[in-house]
Amino acid sequence: MTIDKAAPASASILVVGGGISGLTTTLEAAEAGQEVLLVEKNPYLGGRVIQLNQYFPKLCPPTCGLEINFRRIRDSKNIKVLTMTEVVKVEGAPGNYDVTLKISPRYVNENCTACGACADVCESEIDSDFNFGMNRTKAAYLPCEMAFPARYVISPEIGADDKKRVEEACKYKAVDFSMAEKTLTVKVKSVVWATGWKPYDATKIDNLGFGRHQNIITNMMLERMASLNGPTAGKILRPSDDQAPKTIAFVQCAGSRDENHLPYCSYICCLASLKHATYVREQYPDAEMTIYYIDIRTPGQKYEKFYKKLKEDKKVTFVKGKVAAVAEGDNGSITVTAEDAVTGAKVNQTVDLVVLATGMEPTMASDKPQADLTFNEDGFIVNDFTKGGMFAAGCANKPADVMSSNQNATGMALKAIQTVMGR
Amino acid sequence: MSNQYIIQPDLTFINEVVGLGGDTLKKCFQCATCSVACPIAPENSPFPRKEMIAASWGLKDKLVGSADIWLCHECGDCTALCPRGAKPGQTLSAIRSYAISEYSSSVPVVGKLSKMVTDPKKLALLTAIPAAWLALMAIITMFMGGVMEKIFHVIGLHWYHVTDAPIAQARFISTWLVDMTFVPVFNISLLIFAYTLYKMLSDMHANALAEGKTDKETLDYKAYFNTIPTVLKKVLKHTQFNECGENKNRGTAHMMVLFGFIGCLIVTTIGFGFLYVLGKPGPYSQWWPFKWLGNISGIAIVFGAVLMIKERLGKPDLNAYKDWYLLGLVLTLGATGLLTQMARLAGMEIATYAIYYIHLIAVFHLFAYLPFSKLAHAVYRLAAMTYAEYANRK
Repeated sequence: MTIDKAAPASASILVVGGGISGLTTTLEAAEAGQEVLLVEKNPYLGGRVIQLNQYFPKLCPPTCGLEINFRRIRDSKNIKVLTMTEVVKVEGAPGNYDVTLKISPRYVNENCTACGACADVCESEIDSDFNFGMNRTKAAYLPCEMAFPARYVISPEIGADDKKRVEEACKYKAVDFSMAEKTLTVKVKSVVWATGWKPYDATKIDNLGFGRHQNIITNMMLERMASLNGPTAGKILRPSDDQAPKTIAFVQCAGSRDENHLPYCSYICCLASLKHATYVREQYPDAEMTIYYIDIRTPGQKYEKFYKKLKEDKKVTFVKGKVAAVAEGDNGSITVTAEDAVTGAKVNQTVDLVVLATGMEPTMASDKPQADLTFNEDGFIVNDFTKGGMFAAGCANKPADVMSSNQNATGMALKAIQTVMGR
Repeated sequence: MSNQYIIQPDLTFINEVVGLGGDTLKKCFQCATCSVACPIAPENSPFPRKEMIAASWGLKDKLVGSADIWLCHECGDCTALCPRGAKPGQTLSAIRSYAISEYSSSVPVVGKLSKMVTDPKKLALLTAIPAAWLALMAIITMFMGGVMEKIFHVIGLHWYHVTDAPIAQARFISTWLVDMTFVPVFNISLLIFAYTLYKMLSDMHANALAEGKTDKETLDYKAYFNTIPTVLKKVLKHTQFNECGENKNRGTAHMMVLFGFIGCLIVTTIGFGFLYVLGKPGPYSQWWPFKWLGNISGIAIVFGAVLMIKERLGKPDLNAYKDWYLLGLVLTLGATGLLTQMARLAGMEIATYAIYYIHLIAVFHLFAYLPFSKLAHAVYRLAAMTYAEYANRK
């Protein structure tokens, strides 16, 4: 493997996106003998998965899975990785594409040992994107604990004084402010788009109060809070007063299955909330939780079993009815309103914390490269196997969980290989 | 499940509601957002989620006799938040329309009118009836005055109402004939309402009992009627209407039309008194206060109607005939009323009579078709709101 070294002039397969799907396609194709160039927009690999506390249904941490994949990448001679890199343009036809890439400056070179001396002296701070803005980090920072490559990044927002300080603090001459944005072109035979998803912007769901009331958070924020390396060191707390919540409401379909937002089912949010209930239960044995839903969608035997098991918890209540109004009461408490469609009564429940199960929006919904791709109206890439050459894997193609993303990404590796082989 | 309930879907009902503007109802997936979005839905058994599933399953009996469908003022807050574009607001409006037809078509003899009033193809026929009748009245007035005077003389009355005004509508169609047409028509409408309301009230009570929406065991009519003033106050203030978020403007426009009609009703009653009690026939001086009230009321009706039409034109998916029929009628009534007066004051004799003729046709539509058209909501909604107040619906 080479990572963030001089970019190659060509490869047989370009994989766009280094999340769980991109990693899988990259590895499956490379281990079958193909030369793969993997480009990732973030300064680290691992995508959304690396932000999770645990995967469902087995509840193992993301290290399990990602670590082995990073190891396989390191061991493969056929893989080249470029981080902080985006695809601007793809021209050409299957078997012969010219791809224009844009590489943003990291201001830290491969000499970095991740010693952290730069962060120690740096005074400017930025919002942590990795933790959805719940805390701030130094402008010279390691993007996350498991960052691969394990190398610091310096934000362009760093102050002028700090530039000097971090440069002087680095013993390894790894800080380099002469780096600038670069554009380069590579020739590839096939492209696999594994551009993934982003959490739907919950502030757009006006009636659910996110952004107006502090104690309304999103499912991905809860995921970060529950993570030991997260902003609260693994404790699930109310943002307003850092107290342990005694009552929690989960609001399913926050933006999903809604023509005014995301018209489709985001597939993972039901399981995610059920999983979140297990996080809460582990930390707070007496916490009372209510899950407001339209339908609980737990496809397949394993997920259904997970749901059944959680239903045994007497302090977890399920209410069939979507929360459609919220109001803030005393002491930051939130009252959620729904109609229980089974009993036909309106429910007004006051809780300490509200978790919105926001759905997934394809990354490509807003940032589309110049490439001959077909998108559906929601921004997912539609695979055209007759045309071939370029394929979408994982959540770039449809909302999916990790397991089906991996299966799908493996299939797309095969499709890319077939293109390379001219079949 | 201890209670077994075998669903018997009424497919014709579903199709009719779809045809009346509820074409989106099948999109509903019962998320219940609408019941929370509604600013006026009660806490116990809120609407319109339960109405949506009942409509989609064809459970006519749960809807037609339910007071809840009338509590909705179609503000559109539920439709705005609906994640499926199922438009609960419009669906409820379609169900109300169905309910009007259902009750009014059960009336003996004239029940058939119900289908005609909601059918755009029958508009010409429904207009031709009063047009022909009023034309006959005009012929009698203009050419048979002598004969009529003789007939009236027999019963001790005078045919002519003498006025020295250069133009008077009574010279085109005698006030006697106008009143002999409209007083009976209006009273027949009232009888029809009495008939349908009696049925509707017992249906509403049965429905409320079945769904646990009331604390009253039996329907006490005296207590019910005593509740009317409380509700009337709310109606006049548009308390419910003004809680609507999505289209607040409609509340004001509706208020103008309602008050315009009330004003015109008062003016007509006073005019009646002037003519038959004091023996003073119109046209009356513009300086008389009740003329002012009449003019202000007319302007309010026209203004309100124009506002509502403008609002509706901005929403191309709202195009049900029942709605346009009512709005068109309201505008015609107000506009022809004012124009008749203007033409008369301008000394345009033919124009005065022509516009007055159209005005009378519109009035006939208003009175005769009232129990069958969307306008019946004035009576049914009041009845249902009174029931809800009486039954302690919360």
